Amino acid sequence: MLTDAQVEGLVGQRFPGGDYTIAHWENFLLTDCTARQPMTSDLVHPIALFHVPIQGAGTSIAELFRLGGGDGQAGSVSLLGYDWEYMKPLCEERRYRVEGGVVSTERVVDAAGAVLHDDIAFQIELFDPDDGLAARVTNRWRFVR
Amino acid sequence: MVVPAAGDALPPFVVESVDPQRMKTMAAILRDPYPIHWDRAAVASMGLGERTVNQGPLNLGYIANMLMAWGGDNSIRRLTVQFHARVFDGDRVVAGGVVDSVAATDEGWDATCSVWLKRASETMVSGTAHVWHRRIDVR
Repeated sequence: MLTDAQVEGLVGQRFPGGDYTIAHWENFLLTDCTARQPMTSDLVHPIALFHVPIQGAGTSIAELFRLGGGDGQAGSVSLLGYDWEYMKPLCEERRYRVEGGVVSTERVVDAAGAVLHDDIAFQIELFDPDDGLAARVTNRWRFVR
Repeated sequence: MVVPAAGDALPPFVVESVDPQRMKTMAAILRDPYPIHWDRAAVASMGLGERTVNQGPLNLGYIANMLMAWGGDNSIRRLTVQFHARVFDGDRVVAGGVVDSVAATDEGWDATCSVWLKRASETMVSGTAHVWHRRIDVR
């Protein structure tokens, strides 16, 4: 388990950053997973703001588990909430610059001082190369100890 | 163009039975190694039964679909949600919402809505959505 200092030290840690282009096949399958017809024209389904920021920032779900000291086993990580902002429509086959990092952590202990869980929030932004900030996500995950 | 009003109910989006095969496709797209989404034995090891757990983004996806069917595919401007409980394969879930406030603009309207995903009377996801509608698609 991460120490108190390690949890606090996560704040400010940046992901490598990178670029991401949402392919048509990817958007088609993603949309199908939500049980609706394909999106109109080249618009990307809004839930692309889960995996596109993570992968585009040069990290992964597995890496985020490792960062938070999770073991990836069932029940070790849960979602607390999302705040997803869409400044511009996201489109297929458009290359976005992606940057982000950890913005907050909170360690929760019981009355005896035993660690119950750590809540970790990361924020990632997508930039349209021609038109500035396109989207921002702030996701909060709970790592059960 | 009909401008909505505070208190209007949003037409629901119903998933009659959450499909475990779609969870597997989703796990591949997300590159999600968490086994509760594709390995029923992993779910059983948690004492949660024999059904896989739907991904949080998919639960939010049903809410997004509900909003897009109402406001258009290019209408969602912000989604702020909390997750309360797990949705399992085979569950029947319903995404719904209600308009909290509306502002008419020269181009159309902006609305703030309370949204949710429910399994029967149990709230699985809840939150707020900002939606806009424009007479002309703004890209």
